[in-house]
Amino acid sequence: MPMGFAARGPIGAETGRTWEFLGYGAIALIEFQNVSKIYSNGTMALRNVNLHVDSGEFVFIVGSSGAGKSTFLKLITCEERPSEGEIVVGDQKLSGLRRGDVPYLRRTMGMVFQDFRLIQKMTVYDNVAFAMHVVGASSREIRRKVPYILGLVNLQDKADCHPCELSGGEQQRVGLARALINSPRLLIADEPTGNIDPALSFEVVDLFSEINKRGTTILMVTHEHSLVKRFGRRVVEIHDGSVVADSCNWEARHD
Amino acid sequence: MIDHMRYLLREGVRNIWSNRTMSLASIGVLVSCLLLTGAAVLFSLNISGAMKAVEGSNSVKVYMKEGLPVLNALKAGDEIKKLDNIKSCEFILKDDAIKKVMGMLGDTDATLLEGMTGKDNPLPDAFQISFKDLSRYRDTVAQIRKIDGVSSINDYSDVAAKLTKLDRMVTTAGFWIILLLSLVSLFIISNTIRVTMFSHRLEISIMKSVGATDWFVRVPFIVEGVIIGLFSGALASGILRLLYERMTGTLTSITLFKPLDIRPMQPRITLWFLLAGAAFGAVGGLISIGRYLKKEGGDVVEW
Repeated sequence: MPMGFAARGPIGAETGRTWEFLGYGAIALIEFQNVSKIYSNGTMALRNVNLHVDSGEFVFIVGSSGAGKSTFLKLITCEERPSEGEIVVGDQKLSGLRRGDVPYLRRTMGMVFQDFRLIQKMTVYDNVAFAMHVVGASSREIRRKVPYILGLVNLQDKADCHPCELSGGEQQRVGLARALINSPRLLIADEPTGNIDPALSFEVVDLFSEINKRGTTILMVTHEHSLVKRFGRRVVEIHDGSVVADSCNWEARHD
Repeated sequence: MIDHMRYLLREGVRNIWSNRTMSLASIGVLVSCLLLTGAAVLFSLNISGAMKAVEGSNSVKVYMKEGLPVLNALKAGDEIKKLDNIKSCEFILKDDAIKKVMGMLGDTDATLLEGMTGKDNPLPDAFQISFKDLSRYRDTVAQIRKIDGVSSINDYSDVAAKLTKLDRMVTTAGFWIILLLSLVSLFIISNTIRVTMFSHRLEISIMKSVGATDWFVRVPFIVEGVIIGLFSGALASGILRLLYERMTGTLTSITLFKPLDIRPMQPRITLWFLLAGAAFGAVGGLISIGRYLKKEGGDVVEW
C-alpha cells in the first residue's frame, strides 16, 4: 500500500449517529498543476488546468456537456493519466502511482453516480456490504458498520428492500451509503441529482452538506444551477477543457 | 481472510448458476475432451498389454492345408519336430479346435457345433509349436513354411508390427484430436466466463470504483472455471469407466481380447481428470478476465 493511502481503521470512534469518524484537518487534498489531457484520437479534453482543493471543502464542478468534467474526475480517480502536468491527491503524486496502487488510492475516495449503479438483484444491505467485501472487511465488521451507515442516510428500514422498490432519492441515498461505507476522505459525485425528482434534489445535496460538515471533502459535478445557487459553495466552471471560473460568488456572476 | 475467501468462492458458484446454459456447454465440451484423452490412453495401454502378451509367448500356430488327410498332417508334424529350434510340437485336430472356439463363443449346449463338424468344419488341422531360441524365430518360421502341407503360420511378429502401427496411429490421431479439443475447450470455457463477466460489468465497475484489486475481480471467475473443470473431470471419469466396462465386456464376449482392468486405475484416472479439468478451468478463467481487464481497462469506473 503506497504512503498516503493507508486505509483508515475500523470505525471505533462513532458514538451514536454522528459523522465524527469522517473528520479531517484542513490540508490540501487535490492539486492540479498545469494539467492537460489529450486523448489518443487527438481530442484535447483538458488544457493547462491549475486547481487546488483543500481538505474539507465542498466544490461544485459545472460546465456544459463535453467541457471536460468527466475527464477531470477520471484523472482524480486514475482512470486516465494526464498528458502533461502533475496531479497530487493527499500527499501522493499520481504520476508516480503504479497501476497496482490505484485500488488503494480509490479506497480513500467514495464515488456517487448519476445512475446510482446499484446491483438490482441485491438488497439495499447487500449493495452497501458489497463495497466492504471488496476491501476485504470481515463479516463481523460488515454486520456492525452497514446498519450504522444505513441509519445515517435514513434507510435503516429499507435494508431488506431491493433497489427497484425504492424511489430515485432513496436509491441515491443507497449509493451514498455505499460511497461512505469505507470511510473515504474524498467524496466524488457525478450528477447525483440528475436522475431524481427535482424536489428531492435539495434533500440529497443536504445530505452531502451534512457529510461535508463533518470534514469529508466533496467534489460534485452538476448541471443544476438551482442547487449551486442555493448551497452557495465554491464553484469551478470548466469550459472547453479550461477552468474559466473558480469562485464562491459564482451565482452572483451568473445572475 | 476466511470471510474474504468464502465470499469469493460463493461468488464463483453464483456465477455458474446465473450463467448455467453456457456453463453446461463448457462442461459438455470439457467432458468430451477428457473422455477422448482417456479413451486414447486406455487404448494405448491395452495395445501395449497385448503386445507384451504376444512378445512374451514363444509359440505359434502352424495351419495345414484344407482337406489334407490327417496322416499327411502328422507327417508334416514329424518334419517340423526334426527342425533343431523346435521345443515342442502339439497336434490340434480341427474338430477339437472348433469345439474350443464354440465354447468361447458361449455355445454351451453345442447346437451350433452340430453343423460344423467333419467336412463342414471350416477350420484346418494345426500344430501348436514353441521355439527353443526366439532370436532364430524368423529363420525357423521360414523353414516351416517350406514343409509340404503347411498352409500358413500365424506369425505373431506381424501381429506385433500391426499393433505397433495401430498404437502409433491412435497416439498420433489422439494427440491432434486432443490438442484440437483442448483448444476448443479453452475457447468455450473462456467465452463462458467472458459472458458471465459481461453480465457482471456493473459489479466490476463498482468493484473498481471502491478499490478492488485486479485479483479480487479475477478470483470469482477463476473459481467459476475451476468448478466447471472439477465437475467435468469427475463426470468424465465416471462416464469413461462405464463406457470402458460396457465396451470391453462386449469385446471379450465375441473375441479373444483380454482388456486391462480399469478398476485399479480408476483413482489415478479420476485424479488426473480432476487436475486437468481444474487446470483448464483456471486457465480459461485467467484468459478471459485477463483479456477483459486489458481491453476494457482494469481501472474502468465508467464515469
